[in-house]
Formats: sequence, C-alpha cells, structure tokens
Amino acid sequence: MSRGGGNPVSALPSNVLRLVKDGLERRALDAGEIDAVIDAGSGNVILLPLAKRALALAASQAANNLLAALPRPDYQRMLPELEPVTLTYGEVLYQPGQRVRHVYFPSDAHVSILVVVESGKALEVGLIGREGMVGVGLALGVEHSSVRALVQGSGTALRMPAGVFLEELARCAPLQRELHRYAYAKLAQARQTAACNRFHLVEARLARWLLMTSDRVRSDHFHLTHEFLADVLGVRRVGVTNAAGDLQRRKLIGYRRGEITILDRAGLEAASCPCYGIVRNLAS
Amino acid sequence: MARESKKKMLRLRLYVAGGAPNSVRAIANLAAICKEHLQAAFKLEIVDVLQFPLRALADGVLVTPHLAKLSPSPASKVVGNLSDRDSVLLALGIGK
Repeated sequence: MSRGGGNPVSALPSNVLRLVKDGLERRALDAGEIDAVIDAGSGNVILLPLAKRALALAASQAANNLLAALPRPDYQRMLPELEPVTLTYGEVLYQPGQRVRHVYFPSDAHVSILVVVESGKALEVGLIGREGMVGVGLALGVEHSSVRALVQGSGTALRMPAGVFLEELARCAPLQRELHRYAYAKLAQARQTAACNRFHLVEARLARWLLMTSDRVRSDHFHLTHEFLADVLGVRRVGVTNAAGDLQRRKLIGYRRGEITILDRAGLEAASCPCYGIVRNLAS
Repeated sequence: MARESKKKMLRLRLYVAGGAPNSVRAIANLAAICKEHLQAAFKLEIVDVLQFPLRALADGVLVTPHLAKLSPSPASKVVGNLSDRDSVLLALGIGK
C-alpha cells in the first residue's frame, strides 16, 4: 500500500490534466504518484499542489526544534505526513480522557498544558512551543490524553496523525532519542513546577511564565488575559492583577488590555523564581 | 557461454522533482530494489528536473518520478513512486 500523498483528481490544475491525457503517465497521475509534469511546449516544469507545498515546507528550515534535530533524510521522509495547520488562541487540542488523534509540532504557536481538577478548575503545568511536541504521551505508549491542551498563542504548527507518528517512531531511532530526551525535560519541568507552585511567590511565578511565553513566541510582545494567567498561576483573578501591577511598578513589564510587553528582560529574570533558569537549561 | 553468464550491467536514469514526496519515495524504493536484486550490477543517474528541465524535455520525459532503463535493450520506463516492486522488476527485466 503506497500512502501515495495523492492530489484528488478534482484538485489537479486543468493544464496538468490536459498535458497528461492517457497511458502510464495518466494512471500514475490518478494514483497520486506524480510530483511534477513537464510541458513540452513551454519547457516548464509544473509542480502538482502537494509537491509544491512539500518543497516549500522543506525549503524553510524546520521551524520546530525537535524536527530540526532529525537527520535531513528522516525529516524529508516524514514531510508528506506533516500537515501545516493554523492553531488559534483558545482552541482546545485535547481534552482529558480524549483519544489522541494527532500530535503537533508547533512552529510559532504555543500551547498550554492544563491539569483539570474535579471542581473544573484548571492549572497550567506546562507550556509547549517550537522546542517541543504536543502529545508526547503517545511516544510513551499512552493513547489517551490526561490533560487539556489549549492553544495560548496563535500561530502555525505541523500536525501528524497518531498512527503515522507511531510508525515513524518505530522506524526512526533519532526521533525516539529526541522524544525521550524531550519527555524527560517535560517531566523535570512538571516536578519543578510542583515545587514552584508550593513555595514561590505569585509575582516571581508570573515573571517566570511571562519569560517562558516570550521564549516560545520569540518576542517581547504578546497577548495574555488575566483569566488565562489566573489559570496559569492557580490564583484568583485579583491575584494576577496584583502581581502584574507589582511587575509594572518595578518597570519590568508593560501590561495594557491583555497586551504584555517585556521592558526589562534582565530585571524580569532577576524577579523570576529560579525555576525559569533551571528548566530552561534542562530543556536545551 | 561465459559472456551470457556474466551479469548484464543495468543502466538506469531516474528523473525526480527535487525533494518532492513521490520523488523521495521513488529514490528510496529504487535503492531498496537495486540493493536486493542487483547488488553492484547497475549504474544509476538521478536527474533533478527542477535543476535541469531541458534534459527532461530532451529525453521525452512527461512526468516525474520517471525511471528509464537505458540499457540493456529494450529500453523501458516506469512512472510513479515505484512502490509496486513487481511492476518495476518486470519493466527492468529482472527475474525474481
């Protein structure tokens, strides 16, 4: 069975269909096994839509660190199965108990991982951006999500169906190594966060999460509401307002209508709890 | 007698479209077939039509991937990602 990456015939440009009318070539075209058609009249090479997209993806260096760490031939082989998607702020990728259908490799989007307790309240326990993958439980043999994965920053990601991901994992040793290392980093982050939530002050924890978000969006400017931060920090909204106000008074951030600007990164790192530095070193 | 028993060198040319998905598969599939059935008795040239479109034109290639058997005669071709091993072997005149 060739997972042929086929363009549905209806999606083929009409100039392609005109050039390849019959015979072996047409049958291969219909089977989705063709990347490009050559127009003898003009001498042009016409790329079919899927091939064009795959080449564009490959040309832009893998924007996700896990994928970029793979040997190029392995990454090229996975490319047809990596679908570019746009993730939107507030979109839920997994709910607790749900079967994981896709794994996601963010490029510039970032995703919050939240534990939901019986009262329905949620606490952020992790943040995933271009450095990682959403759905690492699957790599460890767990088919259902135990957490909520919520898009915190809109942007692009590459998504792969769960079955394909497991096949790739079985045959690609570098992918296994990257994911094992990454799974450990997530475990370390979760442990650190547990201690952090218990011992560190709200302002210091807020500074930490703001820095983590900034790292993942590669910008000093991003959008986060008080409600979101309340879930992140496990405090009431007024706690967020107070902590953010404190950081603003110290001229470390600007925060207006959900728009956050880091004004003094060094100062914010100093204000953050040590967990920021500790986890960042573990993950790199 | 001696000449007949000598394995005939297969000359192959594979036209691809850069790193496009079916092209990448064709290369992988062909490599596996050659390794298993031909060992060292073949010469393979890969022509990237994105870099050398005129060659494809001159050689009468309409789609990629396109595998051409140049020698021994008769010349033959296979188009597509070469995942149907049996039909590739047939076209190349390789017994199983």
